[in-house]
Amino acid sequence: MKIAAVESWVEQPLQSFVDDARVRIALLLHPSGQVVAQAGFTRRMDVMTACALAAASHATSRELGRYVDGKPFRGLHYAGPDKQLFLGTIDTRAGGFICLTVFDDESSLGLVRMYFEDFSRDLAAAAPAATETGTPVLAVDFEADLNKNLAMLFGRGGDVIIRNA
Amino acid sequence: MSLVNYATREITCKIVYYGPGRSGKTTNLHYIYGQVPDDRKGKMVSLATQTDRTLFFDFLPLDLGQISGFTTKFQLYTVPGQVYYQTTRKLVLQGADGVVFVADSQKRQLEENVESLQDLHHNLAEQGVDARTVPLVLQYNKQDLPAELVHSTADLSDALNFRGVPEFSADALHGPGVFETLRSISELVLKRLSAGASAGAGAR
Repeated sequence: MKIAAVESWVEQPLQSFVDDARVRIALLLHPSGQVVAQAGFTRRMDVMTACALAAASHATSRELGRYVDGKPFRGLHYAGPDKQLFLGTIDTRAGGFICLTVFDDESSLGLVRMYFEDFSRDLAAAAPAATETGTPVLAVDFEADLNKNLAMLFGRGGDVIIRNA
Repeated sequence: MSLVNYATREITCKIVYYGPGRSGKTTNLHYIYGQVPDDRKGKMVSLATQTDRTLFFDFLPLDLGQISGFTTKFQLYTVPGQVYYQTTRKLVLQGADGVVFVADSQKRQLEENVESLQDLHHNLAEQGVDARTVPLVLQYNKQDLPAELVHSTADLSDALNFRGVPEFSADALHGPGVFETLRSISELVLKRLSAGASAGAGAR
């Protein structure tokens, strides 16, 4: 299964996890809901929506853990009739990550959990130190592109501005 | 934290619509969803109660197209406005690149607006974020209601806009002001990126 990653250093650990644990879908994301890498997604499923829901589910189970057990839950498992879902957290020096995996009877919860531990360790080892880059990303004159695209999205312009500080 | 993928030349930004309960945050997203062509939006997800009040969040992925050679995607979130969903608001606010504060212009809601704005600053501070550095736009919604029921935009500006940020009059149900608000917050967020201020830990 092919990995698509925003961060190249996650590719190898995630590829090994996907291959070894035989999961159908794997999604690595920031706790804020931003995708870092994915494998197994088809056009039918929107990656960003899955990220938003996974981040929400993760946040909820952490808070629920704190509420009922005094400490955050670090993993979540759901067994559906055909597919199962496992959601776990990974701490690295580049920050915390959430991993969502979906698997079927080609794998098992035990297998997924076992390889998830390896994955967590490999990812932590591969992670670079967190950095705040100060490199400008967009050209200074990006506003023309932005206005053109937004006008296209809404099919119009607009001038209800009271004051634009 | 904007996510910048230099390999695929893709930028993803998170915008959170904040404000008191029933101020029109979800209505903003519904209007945007209804206006944007299918190929430029993802599925809108609403985690709501049976009475359609936002329970966790609404989520709408938008594809803004090519900006300075980058495919630019925005993730629009709303938070639940009701006071008792404080924890949820904090969670959704995590990693926001910009905030739209949707105020309810009704006179009887002024106190709720002020409290919600204070709540926003408090929650950002708890996450170690200086609220003055986060791109913020104010929207005074429900300006279509009869004049005797709503505060004027000048009064709302005096009460809420102490930072002097961009502010917009709106009727989110029918559209006026929705697009302008989105355009303004998009511009502020992308300006930060063009200045190199917010290409965070995800940037490579």
